[in-house]
Amino acid sequence: MRNLWVTIRHYWHIHLTVALCTAVATGVLAGALIVGDSMRGSLQNITLERLGSIQHAIIADHFFENTIAIPYIESDLVASHNTVPAIMLNGSVTAVGSDHRASRVNIYGVKKHFFNLWEKQRVPTFTDSPENPGLDIVINETLQNELNVKIGDSIIVSIPQAFEIHPEFLLGQRDETASIKRLRVVISDIIPTEDAGRFSLHAHQSLPMNAYISLPTLQKALSIAKNNIVNALFSVDTTPITPDMVSFTLDELGLSINEHRDYFDLQSDQFLIKSTLSKDAISVATENNIPVLSTLTYLANSITASAPSEDPTADKVSVPYSTILALPVEIGEFAEFLNLHLTDSDRIAYSQARILEIRTQVSDQLKTLDEIKSKLNSVDEEITKLKRTPERNKHSQEFKMKLTETEETVLDIKNRLSSVANPIEVFEIYLNEWTANDLGVKIGDKVDVTYFNVNVNEEYSSVVRQFILRGIVPIEKIAADINLIPDFPGVSDSNDISEWDPPFPFDNSLIRAKDEAYWDEYKSAPKAFISLETGKKLWENRFGDLTTIRMTSSLNLDLNESRRLFESELLKKVDPEQLGFQFLNLRSEGLQSAKGSSDFGMLFSSMSGFIIIAVALLVGMVFRIGVEQRSREIGILQAVGYPLTRIRRSFLLEGTVISFFGCLLGCLLAVGYANLMIYGLKTWWLPAIGTPFLKVHVGFWSLICGTFVSFIVIMFTIYRTIGKMGKISTVSLLEGESDFANSSSSKHKEKNTRISGRKLLIIVAVVIGLFLGIMDTGRTFTGDWSSIINILIIGSILLLTFRVSLRWFLKKKPNQNSELTNQNVRSLTIYYCSSIFIGVMLTIIPFVRAFAEIVVNVLENPAVRFLTVTSIVMGLSLLFFEYWLNSHRESKRLSRMQFTLKNSARQPTRSRTCVATISLACCIIVAVGANRQESTPESEFAFIAESSLPLHHSLNTAEGRFELGFDEEESEVLSKSVIYPFRVLPGEDVSCLNLYRPEKPQIIGASGSLLSDDTWKHLREFKSANGRIAAIGDENSLRWILHHNPDEDLVIEDEFGESLSLKLKTIKNSLFQSQLIISESDFTKHFPSQNGYQFFLLKTPTEMQAKTSQILEKTLQDYGFDVTLASQRLANFRSVQNTYISTFQSLGGLGIILGTLGLALVLLRNIMERKGELATLRAFGFRRGLLSRMLFLESSFLLIIGMSIGIVTGLFGVFNSLGELPTFPWISLTITLLFILSFGIIANAIAVFFALRMPLLSTLKSE
Amino acid sequence: MKDTGEILHQLKVSNLTKSFGTVQVLRNISFSLQAGTSVAITGPSGSGKSTLLHIIGTLEKPTDGEVEINGTDPFSLSEPLLAQYRNDVMGFVFQDHHLLPQYSVLENVLIPTLAFKQKPNASELAKELIERVGLLDRITHRPAELSGGERQRVAIARALINQPSILLCDEPTGNLDTNTASNIADLLFNLHNINQNILIVVTHNLELASRFENCLDLVDGECIKGISGSD
Repeated sequence: MRNLWVTIRHYWHIHLTVALCTAVATGVLAGALIVGDSMRGSLQNITLERLGSIQHAIIADHFFENTIAIPYIESDLVASHNTVPAIMLNGSVTAVGSDHRASRVNIYGVKKHFFNLWEKQRVPTFTDSPENPGLDIVINETLQNELNVKIGDSIIVSIPQAFEIHPEFLLGQRDETASIKRLRVVISDIIPTEDAGRFSLHAHQSLPMNAYISLPTLQKALSIAKNNIVNALFSVDTTPITPDMVSFTLDELGLSINEHRDYFDLQSDQFLIKSTLSKDAISVATENNIPVLSTLTYLANSITASAPSEDPTADKVSVPYSTILALPVEIGEFAEFLNLHLTDSDRIAYSQARILEIRTQVSDQLKTLDEIKSKLNSVDEEITKLKRTPERNKHSQEFKMKLTETEETVLDIKNRLSSVANPIEVFEIYLNEWTANDLGVKIGDKVDVTYFNVNVNEEYSSVVRQFILRGIVPIEKIAADINLIPDFPGVSDSNDISEWDPPFPFDNSLIRAKDEAYWDEYKSAPKAFISLETGKKLWENRFGDLTTIRMTSSLNLDLNESRRLFESELLKKVDPEQLGFQFLNLRSEGLQSAKGSSDFGMLFSSMSGFIIIAVALLVGMVFRIGVEQRSREIGILQAVGYPLTRIRRSFLLEGTVISFFGCLLGCLLAVGYANLMIYGLKTWWLPAIGTPFLKVHVGFWSLICGTFVSFIVIMFTIYRTIGKMGKISTVSLLEGESDFANSSSSKHKEKNTRISGRKLLIIVAVVIGLFLGIMDTGRTFTGDWSSIINILIIGSILLLTFRVSLRWFLKKKPNQNSELTNQNVRSLTIYYCSSIFIGVMLTIIPFVRAFAEIVVNVLENPAVRFLTVTSIVMGLSLLFFEYWLNSHRESKRLSRMQFTLKNSARQPTRSRTCVATISLACCIIVAVGANRQESTPESEFAFIAESSLPLHHSLNTAEGRFELGFDEEESEVLSKSVIYPFRVLPGEDVSCLNLYRPEKPQIIGASGSLLSDDTWKHLREFKSANGRIAAIGDENSLRWILHHNPDEDLVIEDEFGESLSLKLKTIKNSLFQSQLIISESDFTKHFPSQNGYQFFLLKTPTEMQAKTSQILEKTLQDYGFDVTLASQRLANFRSVQNTYISTFQSLGGLGIILGTLGLALVLLRNIMERKGELATLRAFGFRRGLLSRMLFLESSFLLIIGMSIGIVTGLFGVFNSLGELPTFPWISLTITLLFILSFGIIANAIAVFFALRMPLLSTLKSE
Repeated sequence: MKDTGEILHQLKVSNLTKSFGTVQVLRNISFSLQAGTSVAITGPSGSGKSTLLHIIGTLEKPTDGEVEINGTDPFSLSEPLLAQYRNDVMGFVFQDHHLLPQYSVLENVLIPTLAFKQKPNASELAKELIERVGLLDRITHRPAELSGGERQRVAIARALINQPSILLCDEPTGNLDTNTASNIADLLFNLHNINQNILIVVTHNLELASRFENCLDLVDGECIKGISGSD
């Protein structure tokens, strides 16, 4: 041990360098892992802080009684005070008397004990007494800063009004006055944005804007009568809340049962019974032998006798505003009723009319087919002409016009064909006597029914449907039963029809006295009846398919028992999750998300990986220098009989001790490095994380893991270096032979390390050949023939270049390169072609083919492709460089430049190590830097807008703008813009702006007007089926934030809890990096309860932009409408990406520092070893300045070679992985590279300056 | 070879003293040499032989005394001019040949020509010298591929590439066996006879020293046996 200590002390400078390098490796690796720990730890802290002691929650898209949790409370020792009810809404807030406003504010209706969920949270001042609710509000500091308000100031809170009927249904309320509730409140307290002040259900690192109103106040504002009605329930108990642990009543499901003398009716508060519920209800009734009558009621605007075909202009009588009941007409009560009142002659009359109608429809279809046939002939001729058009004329205007006309004709044919393809349909209707008499129609006559539909853009569209009158029934029994008709809001409770106040357009001038008389006598009794099948076909929608399910008593039970049985069984069968309830495990889901969208630890570690490699190379080199320095000592030890293994062991022991101390030092360095990185993320690179929330969390295992890995790497390097000791003979060692890596005294060594030109070229030929072979075959699997041709062309060019270069080389150097004969050129070509052939042929074998497919698939991953290509290019470049270093080129006339450059070949291994280190770092810097986007982002859209509350009227129509409150002048300004609305399913941001791992991505539904654009072709043309729909997502968001391969379907859950597969198409660098996009039709189908539009894209002329933005934000302030420049949104995304790039470039910079340090070390060591040579040169008249320049040039040459290889490799890698070079950031990259070059040059200059200060001439003395 | 017809080269050393700190290495050494003469400097280790050679070669400055070459004191020249002067006038052969391992024989010989503007016929001259030292067939070889004697021959060719007026050799045969040493000595004398320059050789080898016209024997920095004809 003493010897060890003495040796270490004697060679302290070398050992210190090795220890420092080890410390750097440990510091960088463990530091990177600590950065990951810190990111996870900080996100976890935020999660725990925002949730307090909340463990679980039940939330719903509608209000419910908090008593549903009673079974949960009673189930497992969960104390009742451990559950806290609340109302959670999203709204906007405006400061009274100022322009300050805030949108997307979390509005919480809570009682004081809500704040006890956070241990350190003081209970703020506000009144929550049910008797005297008060108008206090508590806000957090983030909201305070946004509004610039203080305690005592008044603010106006806008919140969505609760609806029973979906606003987009015919009977839903969409008026701004009815859909938004404004509440003027006074700020009673302001709490910091921490603990309860940070409460949010959404995992995001940004600070939420929260406002807390007393629960009774909010309930009162929302006109909620009961004080136990909420939409969220939080539990601090660790026992999860599951659907079977809550007790629902029909009321919570929005259902009610109206019991009558002989039957009971199931109806919905939302008018229509959701189809899932109706299916469950019918199923339960059937299973329990309860007879069922399903009905669907709709409101017709008018029922009119169709004008006779011989006189279409004849006056038509019309009955306004009538209810129509759809119900089974072939079986059941109504069928029996019809049998009583319809005669055979009635049936014959209807049959004759039906046959006539079918004949007419067939005749029309035949006529259409004839038209299609003639159109097809003309299109065929037109297409033939177009095909014959000479290529040069295909760009002419005339050609384009003809092409467009032909396309339009084809489209018309398609439409006509689809109409012909429809089966012949005859709709039948029954009228009551009053209506039939009023219209003056008889059985077999045609009747037009006009009704409103709400189209996908939330606009009322009037639909006219023709029916054939099949029967006329008296107004009695089931035909007069108003119990089957659910209450129409604004209709059922009116005394007169003229007093109706429905949400849809209503013209009371159409009401006649006889209509009022009918209303007085029969109220809402239906005037017409159609079959349930027809009714569903016409009026079933995403909100439901039935309005009343009538049931009578079961065979062996009385009515009351049957009802109770039905109710209990239905509640058992209904899945609350399908009805808008969510059972959240907030804490565990939050902590899961806190693992982060990107593992910063792995990210930094992988980016630091090359630094570890650089350090390993450096350590290897330094340690080797140390060993080489002691070559005579090794020689003497061998000469006196020490076995080589013992010498190696002693060196290994030295290495172990040094590395151990280096690792210990590295642990300290790791903490410092992590602190620096975290500081960087909180300051210089803040855009990468959004808010400076990070705190350093030193994970013990990260420290151990980082230390262990770097120790192993360093020890392996040292072991390899020591292993080369035995390759130099003892005599050579005694003579001072010291170059272990390139010992010329060992022929064995030479064979192994020096790569001959021929060998090198064979390797190149085989690698390129095999790669092209496999890739080509891989491409054929995907049918991508054009890329195969491209690859083959590139391959052929490479081969040609290869041959020409070799021939030129041979011609120029016939003597010195005897190994590169013409014969070898031919054999190389054979190697190359054979490799392509072998590559292709190998894939014929199923196993290899499968393997090739896997390779191709793996190579499709940009990161893998980048790594593969950069490894190949860099490997080959370094091989070529090594070949050059080892080549024995002679020059007829030795110039100073040649003399200098050749000096770099003096120690090929050292030169190669330096070049490899620098090229690695440069490659990273270039590859990362090439992705930096410097230009101002551009978008076809001027603005992106989001609103806290949904808009139900179109901003593109004058009527819609009027409804939303814009005056004429504002409406005129807005008419200059094209606004594309999107529906929004609330979810998590999937862009790089969110550090949490999104579990439920935000989904938006793109409206039809936007889908006409080519970008959205995928959504437009994809045929949705079997729960698989089309979606568009940003490639980077999918790949790096959601960690999903875009080639595979992404599975999410729809509103009914069913799996929904998203067939993805990717876009890049778009405005849609935060969400996934589906078509509006798919959106409304799978998320029917979401209403209105909350996301907008605007195309606005430049000169109108400022005014448009101002008008929108001002007029729609109650909706919390925020307008952002699209370019600004893109810039935000870019800012994050560019910041990541800066972060990683900084790591690249560290690599450059290490590489340059290595270069300086090599330079110093070389000078030390070459003192004699340099002194000789001085003796021959080389001035000190000249020597300095030569040495400086020598090391700068290595620097430039390293940088060049790195730059070329980086660009090649980027080009290959992206398929194109991104908009090249010339300025920043050039500046970075110039900085690197300058740094390297300065470091070299310093090394030369100090090296040449040592006395040289003394080495010349023989004494 | 350099034209020595008009100016007769003369090296004059007067009262040369050299001290390293308190240690006086050379004491009052004086002698003069004409072109075409050769001298062996002998003496025990530490007697100051190499120091004297280095001072003559202008690699070190004397503490006292003068060195005149053709009437010029080289130490009065500035550093760049002194380097050029050395490049023009001096040729060195060292005991450790100090050949550059990464260069071939030809390139090693050419190295002194790179210090200043290279003469156009440098390559031809180098090949001629290599031929004279008998290594034309090894012209593309590297030092590692040569024997000790061959390496020293290359060093001699290198020393002569700029046709120096004074050839200074520091133990040129010190690392060689007797036969090789004898061959190298023959080569040196042959070339000296052809070039008619001043040949100064530091050696321990008395047999070699006996072949020189003059001998300077140093003991403890003092000349105990001077050069015939000098002061």
